[in-house]
Amino acid sequence: MRHDDVILEASGLRMTYGETEVLRGVDLRAGRGEVVALLGPNGAGKTTTVEILEGFRAPSAGTVRVLGEDPLTAGEGWRAQVGVVLQSWRDHGGWRVRDLLDLVRRSYLPYGRDLYDVDALLDEVGLSTHAAARIRTLSGGQRRRLDVAIGIVGRPAVLFLDEPTAGFDPVARRDFHELVHRLADLADTTILLTTHDLGEAERLADRILILDGGVIVADGSPEALAREVAGSTEVRWVHDGERHVHATADATGFVRDLLARHPDGVEGLEIVRATLEDAYLAMVRRHENTELEGADR
Amino acid sequence: MTAPIPTALRAGVRRGVVEFLNSLRSPTDVGFWIVGAIVTVVVLWFLRTDRIAELDITTAQFIFPGLLAVQLLIAATWGVGVMISTEREDGTLLRAKALPHGTLTYATGITMRSLLESAVAVALVLVPSLFLVGGLLDRGPVALAAVGILVLGFVALFPIGLAVGALSRNPRAVSGWGLLVGAAVVFASGIFVPLITFPEWAQVIGQLLPLYWLGLLLRSVLLPENLHVVEIGESWRTLEAFGVLGAWAVVGILIAPPLLRRMARRESGTSLERARQKALQRV
Repeated sequence: MRHDDVILEASGLRMTYGETEVLRGVDLRAGRGEVVALLGPNGAGKTTTVEILEGFRAPSAGTVRVLGEDPLTAGEGWRAQVGVVLQSWRDHGGWRVRDLLDLVRRSYLPYGRDLYDVDALLDEVGLSTHAAARIRTLSGGQRRRLDVAIGIVGRPAVLFLDEPTAGFDPVARRDFHELVHRLADLADTTILLTTHDLGEAERLADRILILDGGVIVADGSPEALAREVAGSTEVRWVHDGERHVHATADATGFVRDLLARHPDGVEGLEIVRATLEDAYLAMVRRHENTELEGADR
Repeated sequence: MTAPIPTALRAGVRRGVVEFLNSLRSPTDVGFWIVGAIVTVVVLWFLRTDRIAELDITTAQFIFPGLLAVQLLIAATWGVGVMISTEREDGTLLRAKALPHGTLTYATGITMRSLLESAVAVALVLVPSLFLVGGLLDRGPVALAAVGILVLGFVALFPIGLAVGALSRNPRAVSGWGLLVGAAVVFASGIFVPLITFPEWAQVIGQLLPLYWLGLLLRSVLLPENLHVVEIGESWRTLEAFGVLGAWAVVGILIAPPLLRRMARRESGTSLERARQKALQRV
């Protein structure tokens, strides 16, 4: 199983800025070719985690191995195997799309990797017609696709995507998802992406890690995470003109009992299976509650 | 396969040239230099007949070497400081850092761009002045030494701009304070008023600044030889001038790489975001 080949591993990551603890013991790992989504609400510590893995900042505590090396001390050869797509900024506005991508590609020439051809890659990300355009004239979605092209032109073994679709319209978002799928299928690239959008994590990732309050609160495939909250299937009904809601693990048994108890009739019976979205919200909420209790003590 | 360092340097040169050509398309950048050059040339034009009787030259002639030094200060120190702090804020440097040897490529690019801009800044004042103001090249071939002196001046002044950019990530502060400090440095360096007319303590300060020695060297090859009488010690002090300017250059070359590495090390998305939030709060 190719995923067994560990590409990325972190344990006990902590990060403290002054008084604030942003990360409080994060453990994660990803195998070769795996697409992992780091999901969490804003301010959960996603960007900080990714920046530690990229070698852009030192954790306050914990160990990190990416491609077998510590990102902080790894050399330029390691850097050449790591693709980084940062949150969007406004740099290089005066450059032409093709010029910038070409310059970035040149940086990878000495490292013996099978680089993308600039024009083929522009085609791949749907920017062929904008090759000569100045970057500041691109739309948000086009700009983001250029960011991705810059991140992958060196054909990295690991790709970090930080909030890749923030601020996208639905069409741009769908196009972008297709692009990530193609990337994951084409090459054996390990992809770690951060997002606060559950639907996005579900569509793109083999595995989802939910980060909240500086710890990983859930880790599993989208299906496994949904199963984990199967206990909270909701049964809704109306009896005597009054609405009732009940959460249960055994919906079938509960409904049998319910109907037996009220032979005079139950109306508007609904059984709602928990979706992963409910699971996500439930986990974040549960985590916030324990947080509050912890603060009271 | 090619070697990493030469590849990074070549990419940097390319980067600098593209950046320079891009800035030629920016109305703000071009406007800044054109307006500056027009003002300078107009001032020289009005002073071209204004004679300094005891020295037997025109005021225009007398201040011309200083103007070249000031153009270099603006392009190689102030301009570089503003450029780097701007590019730290907008994420250019962070993107560079994500590439193998990216910081080296970036630094090479900045050097290349600043070199080209400095050449243009000097030429913008030099070329029209030669046609409009008489007596500027009375020294003939000796004046060619000014080119070499300006190159040495660049090597001394450029690392200062680099250090300013490496220490601040607020381009508005660098731009505003830079102009004020720059004006003070120009005054204290005796660029337009001979240092010899200053009180002694002010002369000491002036002689610590690289701009004073750059101005002195340029005057020594561009003004009539006998004008050393209005310099300190009634001498051009050529050896001392090369010594002090060279020392600034050597110190700059030595401290620039560690400063750049420190700047690159501190660059991250979260630090950028914090700076951006701060900038937004100010507005």
